[in-house]
Formats: sequence, C-alpha cells, structure tokens
Amino acid sequence: MDAIYAENLTKKYGDNEVLKEVNLKIAEGEFYALMGPNGSGKTTLASIIASVRPPSSGKVEIYGKKPEKAKDLIGYVPQENFSSPILAGKENLMYFAGLLGYSKNRAEEIVNELLNKIGLSEDANKRVSNYSGGMRKRLEVATVLFPGIKILILDEPTTGLDPSARRKFLGLIEELRKEETTILLITHIGADAELASRVGLIDKGEIIAENEPERLKKASGLKNVINIETTIKSEKVANVLSSFSEGQKVLETDVGYRIYCKDIEKATPRIVRSLDAIGCKATRIETEKPSLEDVFFKLTEKMVREVS
Amino acid sequence: MGQITATLGKTIKEFLRQKTILFWTIAWPILWVLIGSFSFTENAPSEVVSYIKGSIAISMSVFALMTAGIANLPGNIAQDRERGLLSKLMSMPINPWRDFVGRILALLAFSSLAAILVTLVGYICGARFSYTLTGLWQSIAFLLLVSLASAGIGMFIGTFVKHVHGAIMSGVGIAVVTAALSGVMAPYSSLPLLLQQFARIYPISSANSSITYLLAGEDYAGYNPLSVSQTSLTIVISLSLFIAGLIAYSRFCWRKE
Repeated sequence: MDAIYAENLTKKYGDNEVLKEVNLKIAEGEFYALMGPNGSGKTTLASIIASVRPPSSGKVEIYGKKPEKAKDLIGYVPQENFSSPILAGKENLMYFAGLLGYSKNRAEEIVNELLNKIGLSEDANKRVSNYSGGMRKRLEVATVLFPGIKILILDEPTTGLDPSARRKFLGLIEELRKEETTILLITHIGADAELASRVGLIDKGEIIAENEPERLKKASGLKNVINIETTIKSEKVANVLSSFSEGQKVLETDVGYRIYCKDIEKATPRIVRSLDAIGCKATRIETEKPSLEDVFFKLTEKMVREVS
Repeated sequence: MGQITATLGKTIKEFLRQKTILFWTIAWPILWVLIGSFSFTENAPSEVVSYIKGSIAISMSVFALMTAGIANLPGNIAQDRERGLLSKLMSMPINPWRDFVGRILALLAFSSLAAILVTLVGYICGARFSYTLTGLWQSIAFLLLVSLASAGIGMFIGTFVKHVHGAIMSGVGIAVVTAALSGVMAPYSSLPLLLQQFARIYPISSANSSITYLLAGEDYAGYNPLSVSQTSLTIVISLSLFIAGLIAYSRFCWRKE
C-alpha cells in the first residue's frame, strides 16, 4: 500500500487553478522531493496531503485512509517558523507532547530523547528567540518525530538557513531516512532535492517530470554546464552566450550566466573571444555536471530560484 | 497532560512573558488606579474618598479584563496564525474546541491575576468596599461576564484581523475607546444621554456598573444596573458576544480554503 496516494488532485481559487489533476504515489519509507518555483503549487499540494486544506476535486489517501482520518500518522512542518519564540525549546516540545495526549512523565521522557536526537539538549531551556535559524528548524522538525508518526511532510525547511545550518539540517534528514520514515520534502533547492530517492518537478500546478535524480538528469540530455562570471550582465551578453548553449538556453546567476554545452573544450575559448568582442570580460569560467535546477530550467525555461 | 492543559500552559506563559501584554493589562490599569486615587479625590469629602478609590479600582480591574480579552486574546490568535502554528495544529489529531477551551481558561486565569493585582494596588492606595457575601459572588459573576464578552469581541478581532500588530492595535483601540465612551473610565453621570444609553447596552460597561453598585454603592454606579431587565440585557448581550465570537473563531480560524 502506498503511504501517500493522490489521484487527479485539483485545487482552484476562483478561476485560478493552483493544482491541475495531480497524480502522486509515494511508497512507504520513500524519500520523495517535490521541487518547483514559488507559486508552482507545491505548498498547496503538501497542505492538502497534510489535511490543512481541502482539494477542489480528486482523491488523497494516506495508507488508504482520507488525510483527516490519518492525522495521527502525519507530521507536517509548515514553511513558517511556528515554534513560540518566547517559550524555551523544551517548553515548545512539551506543548506538542501535551497536544498529542502524553502524560507528563512520558512527555518528559520523549521530549528529552528528541532534544538529544536533534542536538539541542544543551539549549533545551533557552528561549527559542535565542536560537539560530537552523536550531529553530531542527526544533520544529522534532515536533513531527513523536512515536507513531510515519510520514513527514517538510515544507521548504532549509529556506533561509546559512550553508552550515543547512548541512546540519540535511544531516538530520539523512538520519531520519535511515529509520525508514516516509519523507515528502518540498523545496526549490536542487541540492536538497538530490538527496531524495525520487524527485517530482512541479510547475504551474502540474508534475512535469518525476524520477530518481540521476535518471531525471540523464533524461534531460544535458551533458555539461558552464558557469561564466562576467564583468557585466546585460541582454547583449546573454544573447552572445545563448549561441553557445543547447537550445539557446541561458540561465542568469548571481554573478553571471550558466549555459549548457556538449563540447566544453571547443566552446570555452570561443566564449571568451565573443565576450571580449562586445567589451565584456569573463572573469571566471567553471564547468560542472548539470543539477536538478538545470533540468527544471531545461524543461520549463524557468529558474526554480530567483536570482538575487 | 491533555490538549486543554497544554494549550492553557502555553498561552498563559506567552501572556506572562510579553512586556506589551503585561503593560496594557496590568501596568496601565495600575497606573490609572494610582493617578485616580491621588488626583481625582483631592476635593472629595473624606468619608467618600475610600469609596471613590474603590470604584476607580473596580473600573480599572474591569478595564484589565477588557484588555486581556479584547487585545491580548486576538493578539495571541493572530500570532499563532501568522507564524503557521494554526496550520500545524490543523494537521494534527487535535480538537479545535479543546484548543479554544485552553485559550479561554488561560485568558480567565491571566485576567483574574490582573484584576487581583489592580484591586490590591487600589486597596493599598486606600480603596474600600462595602459588600455582602452574596454581593461579592454576584460581582465575581459580573466579572466573568466581562471576560466572556471581551473574549467574544477578541475572538472576532483575532479571526478577521490577520496580522498580529493589527489585531493587538485594533483590540487596544476598541478597549480604550469603548471604555472611555461607555463610562468604564469616566463616571456614568458625566456622560451625555446618548452615551449613557450606550453604557447600558454595552455589557462590559453595564457589568462594571453592576459591580460598582454591589461593592461601592448606587451613588458610584450612577444608576441601578441590577434591575431585572438591565441584568438580563447584560447577561444576554455578554453571552451573545461570546457565542458569536466562538462561532467566528471555530468556523473561520480553523478552516483554510
């Protein structure tokens, strides 16, 4: 039996169709990442599965039951920091233990174990307002680790975390994965989605591709990616670079551009010369393997993340 | 531990740890008790000073209950919504009614604490009351009505004003303005006719007058608020506000489209 099953799931707000007949199957113990840009419908899908909002039509089942009948199996971590900043970390977890009906002694026991598991034992009695973003997120994930919860739905848990906090957080997710918990990770960060056993790419309310990360990349046909740091960013520069990129796709990054190329060795010197010819210097050129964000860009011509 | 106890514990800790809440609910009424006790009684005959101080302490205790229900409760609800806690709770196997009961019990406990502190400061400043045991119990019942009516208004604000600051400021604004217009912060006799009528309809004000009547005497209440029709009106409007607020909260706060 699937842990999560959705069939022809549609969600409309007036004329705006946020989800369009989405079908989704996630097996027990699977780590599934749903990746898409802001407004693609991924949070709506997660909240319907978590029974926070109803679908307009279609069916969702959690272990064969309606989501509202399976609330005890689901642990949902919404995007926002929902923990109370004026309570201590332990007080927050004791509150959730109380909501779940544990006796005081049992709650104390479980909460201490959870604090240990997420590495917050020493900071348990500090107010959450004194926690870093990463510590707060780990605390919030602990609210879904109470015994009996079989499915974790994590909505953009690493957004806003610094690289070190993000790595630590992803380490925690890896630990949870070993416990064979079913995980649905909602993200717009390709590197986070790569950790999953299967990834669904969602755009405009539709899952446009779904597979293991490596298979998705292979199926995209993308061979190599060239990151070019330039002294200037303009339409003219993008136009020049597009002539070297597969399908003329050029992705703008924080410091320059990213293009897709089959023959890097031939293309690189020509890129430098062409940029020179229009008065733009390539200050750094790096090649790498395509990421899931590149696959998404190839399929939709849209970036998953906004360029700052 | 149950859902009610968990929500009660969390909410009361949040009330007690936020300086703005402590200021508006406890410090501000105490400040007015101090100002009122020493400034407004200078020219009063000595035999009535302690009762004037008593009526000021009663009004400020009522104001503390108003602020707790009309400003703190919606602030707490809006805060939980804004930071995604309500979404989180909706995904959990918990009963919205138990959450509601936990919040209301926390409000009543915090309100009681505020009212006791305000009355105590009034007593220290010389406020005295004249009451019978029945009158005391009736006063406590009217204080409960003040809390319920305030909570009803507060639940409306918390349900429909989406942002924390908006909810708190709306609540404080409504509490201060209605307290001033309905005679909670000014003697009933000094109000113009139209506002006197409002004071009789507005259940918080009429309950305040009832408590003043019971604990300080008719002269300080300005009219007899304990007539059957007036008391019935106070009870019916208080409970209606509470039930309406409760319906709004359970229907709209715990539902996402």
